[in-house]
Amino acid sequence: MRQIILSFISLIFISIPANIFGQTDYEILKGQIVDIYGTPLYGANVIVIDLNQGTSANSNGDYVLKGNFEGTYEIEYSYLGFKSIIKKITFKKGETQTLNIILNEDPSALDEISLKSKSKIRLKREEAYAINVIKAEELYNTGANINDVLNRTSGVRVRENGGLGSDFTFSLNGFSGRQVKFFLDGIPIDNFGSSLTLNNFPVNLADRIEVYKGVLPINLGSDALGGAVNIVTRTNPNYLDVSYGYGSFNTHRANLNFAYTNLKNGFTARAITFYNYSDNNYKVKVKPIDLETGQRMEEQEVERFHDKYASATANIEVGITGKSYADKLLIGFIASGNEKDIQTGVTMDQIFGARTANSRAFIPTLKYSKKNIVIDGLDLSFYGAYNNVRNQFIDTTRVRYNWLQETKPTTSAELNRTQLVNKDREALVTTNLGYQINNHHGVSLNYLVSDFNRESSDEEDPDNITFLFPQKLRKHILGFAYQAKYERFTGTAFAKAYYLQAESFENYTNNTGESNYQQTNTNANNFGYGSAATYFIMPKLQAKISYEHTYRLPEASELLGDGLYTRRNSDLTPETSDNINVGAKYEFNITSNNILAIDANYLFRKSKDFIRLDQSQSQPVDRQYVNLGDVSTNGVEVAVNYSYKNQLKAGANFTYQSLIDKQEFLTSTNFQGTTTSPNLNYGFRVPNIPYLYGNFNLDYTIPKKNREDKNQLNIGYSLNYVHEYFLTPNQLGSNNQDNIPTQLSHNIGASYELLKGKFNISLELKNISNEDLYDNYLLQKPGRSFFINLRYFLDKSIF
Amino acid sequence: MNITKTIFRSMLAISLMAFTACSSDDDGATDPDGNPETSEKLYVLGLGVTTSTETTNYLIETDDLMSGVISLEGQGTLQEGYRDYAQGGDTFYSIGGLGVTDVNTITASEDGTLNIQSGLTFDSQVDGFQDVDGNGNTMVGISSPLSPTMGENIKFYTVDIASNTKNNITNIPFSSVYDITQDWIFHTGMQISGGKLYQTFYPVNATTYETKNTDTQYVAIYSYPGFELEKVITDTRVGPAGAFNTRSGIFKAENGDLYTISNSSFTNGYSQSTKPAGILRIPAGTSSFDPDYFFNTSEAMTGGRIAHAIYIGNNKLFAAVTVAEHTIDNRWSDANLRLAIVDLTSQTISLVEGAPEFTGNGGRSFAAFKEEGKVYTSISDANGTVNIYQTDISTATAVKGATVEASFVGGIGRLR
Repeated sequence: MRQIILSFISLIFISIPANIFGQTDYEILKGQIVDIYGTPLYGANVIVIDLNQGTSANSNGDYVLKGNFEGTYEIEYSYLGFKSIIKKITFKKGETQTLNIILNEDPSALDEISLKSKSKIRLKREEAYAINVIKAEELYNTGANINDVLNRTSGVRVRENGGLGSDFTFSLNGFSGRQVKFFLDGIPIDNFGSSLTLNNFPVNLADRIEVYKGVLPINLGSDALGGAVNIVTRTNPNYLDVSYGYGSFNTHRANLNFAYTNLKNGFTARAITFYNYSDNNYKVKVKPIDLETGQRMEEQEVERFHDKYASATANIEVGITGKSYADKLLIGFIASGNEKDIQTGVTMDQIFGARTANSRAFIPTLKYSKKNIVIDGLDLSFYGAYNNVRNQFIDTTRVRYNWLQETKPTTSAELNRTQLVNKDREALVTTNLGYQINNHHGVSLNYLVSDFNRESSDEEDPDNITFLFPQKLRKHILGFAYQAKYERFTGTAFAKAYYLQAESFENYTNNTGESNYQQTNTNANNFGYGSAATYFIMPKLQAKISYEHTYRLPEASELLGDGLYTRRNSDLTPETSDNINVGAKYEFNITSNNILAIDANYLFRKSKDFIRLDQSQSQPVDRQYVNLGDVSTNGVEVAVNYSYKNQLKAGANFTYQSLIDKQEFLTSTNFQGTTTSPNLNYGFRVPNIPYLYGNFNLDYTIPKKNREDKNQLNIGYSLNYVHEYFLTPNQLGSNNQDNIPTQLSHNIGASYELLKGKFNISLELKNISNEDLYDNYLLQKPGRSFFINLRYFLDKSIF
Repeated sequence: MNITKTIFRSMLAISLMAFTACSSDDDGATDPDGNPETSEKLYVLGLGVTTSTETTNYLIETDDLMSGVISLEGQGTLQEGYRDYAQGGDTFYSIGGLGVTDVNTITASEDGTLNIQSGLTFDSQVDGFQDVDGNGNTMVGISSPLSPTMGENIKFYTVDIASNTKNNITNIPFSSVYDITQDWIFHTGMQISGGKLYQTFYPVNATTYETKNTDTQYVAIYSYPGFELEKVITDTRVGPAGAFNTRSGIFKAENGDLYTISNSSFTNGYSQSTKPAGILRIPAGTSSFDPDYFFNTSEAMTGGRIAHAIYIGNNKLFAAVTVAEHTIDNRWSDANLRLAIVDLTSQTISLVEGAPEFTGNGGRSFAAFKEEGKVYTSISDANGTVNIYQTDISTATAVKGATVEASFVGGIGRLR
């Protein structure tokens, strides 16, 4: 394997031509884009395909594109509802060319795959990385959240504890928790609080969702172990998108997104706002406990009674675009919060009637980008954020509940009296510098620094020593990448350096039994690397291969303990994984209207040193995070999509992943030395991870009777399948009941677009057969439910 | 493979039974009930399996503790959450902990498998559960929350073994037992003697687990079955009785005398040790320590701190005792243990021959079970291999028995 990679890297380097410098001036392309009647096409796109660089026309249809275009380029002109045109233009150095374009209306352009015009999404999909790019636009009418959308893609399972706003585990090819990283426009959002998570985000805020399975581009500077999700927000210069939806369990979802760009002075304002609310009072099947006798009653259906969730977020950005000193300079502010009732603990037998949690986040942001800064071909982008998040957890009611809402007094709380507040502060700065050496070669540099600090307090437990000392963690991640791009071949090789500094404190107990606390520090360095390449064997047959050696750095509490319950482990090393993805994509026209696309991927992971809490069952303290767990993963994912004209679309994907526990011995190091014991799961499947699942969807658009018809009806059906899996090692014990049974849920939906998509109404019925669904042990999810969504969309300035 | 094996075995069993039935027709001698298997012993083990992701607990039955391999592969019943174990008569209990508050009741079914009943659910974790008088009629349970944020009352329950029902619930405020402005207290053991319940506990900081007060032993005395607090008696010859979660603080002899066991051992979680380790006596029918009885175990041998024990009759304990001196650096380690027979009358400790030095399971009930002059317990060796050890009480020698394919044995009991 290593040889293949090495020869691959050397192949890339050998192909750098000798003369790579010498261009200093701009080339300019300008003109006007109109339709056949001469009406300016405001917002029409102009893209230099090879460079993925472009602009859009102003309200007069005028466009100006400035850049380093010496040579011959394909320029694509496109506009929603019109046939795209591709022009080949040769620029001399410093030349300005004027090209006026007339676009023809295309009645079927919305759906027909036009092979010549490659959208941003398509370009992203064709990158060398193993990536799923979800086009969010197709889902705007549904009112779905981003978790719903991701759960329908291969390799991803989102396991929710309940309804809207419930805790969830995101797993990507078997990696989960902090092993998978999340980004909003390239900014890591892991520490943004529980109101800024994927289950809160409406899909309408996104232009696209990029799911990286394995290798990450270095501009997503992060220490992910196996993949990441990057949500790219909408970039339309002027639009307004308002929607409101209502559904079962008194669920309300509203969002308002808009952007205004003054093309004359470059002033830009953008807003993403959304609100989610649900009572989550769906019915569950339980055996309530009689609070007097402690005996279980007969199984019955009860309504969840303490599971309300509300969240609201506003992300406002103001600044300028298209200036000589900045392509984009935006100052933003995110304000977000949620309130959540907690109905159950880890099982349905722990019932709460008053526990709550809430989160508040205030995050100022700064975004700056400029192409051709100082010299041509040098691009700079900079993102900064300072997050200020307060998470609170409250349990102060001296009552115990059962499912029948009967109560019984307790002396302290429902479970454990607390008003715990975690105040997190994090400064995040990420800088990207890219230099396009020539048409074929480029280099880029990324630097990310984050400085995280947590302070905790609890007015119910003010003397808890762990609250006296804040925890601090600083991470520096420096990435360097080289890209090569030829007509059929694209490749990148990169290296990443990780540096970590953590601060916490440690408890020393002297011989007279007195405890003292002192600050502790630790530093760690690691070095990762990788490469990705893609080659078009035929114009419609693409092969991809990528490899990386990557790290997930430990958190402060993992490394240094909390000074009380968890002891420091200065020997703790980052989790590490070698990830290989090999894939191929083939698209062919059975006839001109029948298109079939197949995307198949194989993935291999050799992951080591997972960071886990060595949870001793027999003592309350002296726990420690240890590197425990070697896992090897072999996975296959296949997605097949078929479309007929712009009318019928069918898609299916399935994922199989075999995660095998490769940890032969468990070692535990305590004061007495190291004890070793055999791991009884060695060589068996890692439990509690879904390993076989798939989705199917069918969408049909009723053909319009005539071209002038401005309204359109779409209907769709989807199916989700998850094969049975076990939560504990299944080779042990007989008749293991600790499982999630095979689940199959059917969903149907319809949407109606009026006035060419200006007004939209959609209705969705989920789980129509009312199957019992679970994700985590015995935590039941909603049964049959409906959701109706109204949306207004204006693709131009509201002023 | 396993299925064919099972089918083969069942077929064999059926044909044997048929054969037995036929032959008993002929001689008509063997068993009038036609149920010859009931005389066979049936043991139950509570096993813990730690993998790289978590620890799971299983119950498994066996008729042979002394040979072969006790394996969970395809056998045994998974138990929810953390588990501890207790026995009352022919009934074995699997007690939930760490958030699980139910107690499962395990009896032998006629075909020699386990009959596991759920249905006893408590308000909070059960921290002690034992047979009131050893007659298998009534269990007494105690819930003693580990911090004031979890509850301010000690709760006592009784459970009727035959009907498997909970009754007689009494709340005792912690503040009436100990000055909780100074420290919280953790339960370490209880015994019922002469219409009274004697409870041992140790003062501890509920957040840091620091033990500032190790100069005094405390025994709370309640009426039984009323569970009314009568008094808390103290003695300063030794420190507190018992240690974190081990339930080895107090034992009762046949004559009703009570013995309290103090170890103040770093290895069992004490942050300081200011008094010798030793055993005190509360004579039957009294509510005070016997000033004339003091068995200084730390003087009896090197180490000499009794970490875990069960009472085995004739004023003797079967114990795991430290054989090395420890310091604060050894805190919570439960290390350097040997099996021993402790004679409370002659005040001697005899180390059991044939069983190696081992590291214990820390704060767990002692998985040891006595029958017919022998005690069965388990030891995990340096490679993590777990074996049953059978100790002959009269000779204080042990024999290595069955290998257990698990990470630890949490409980051993006998159902018939």
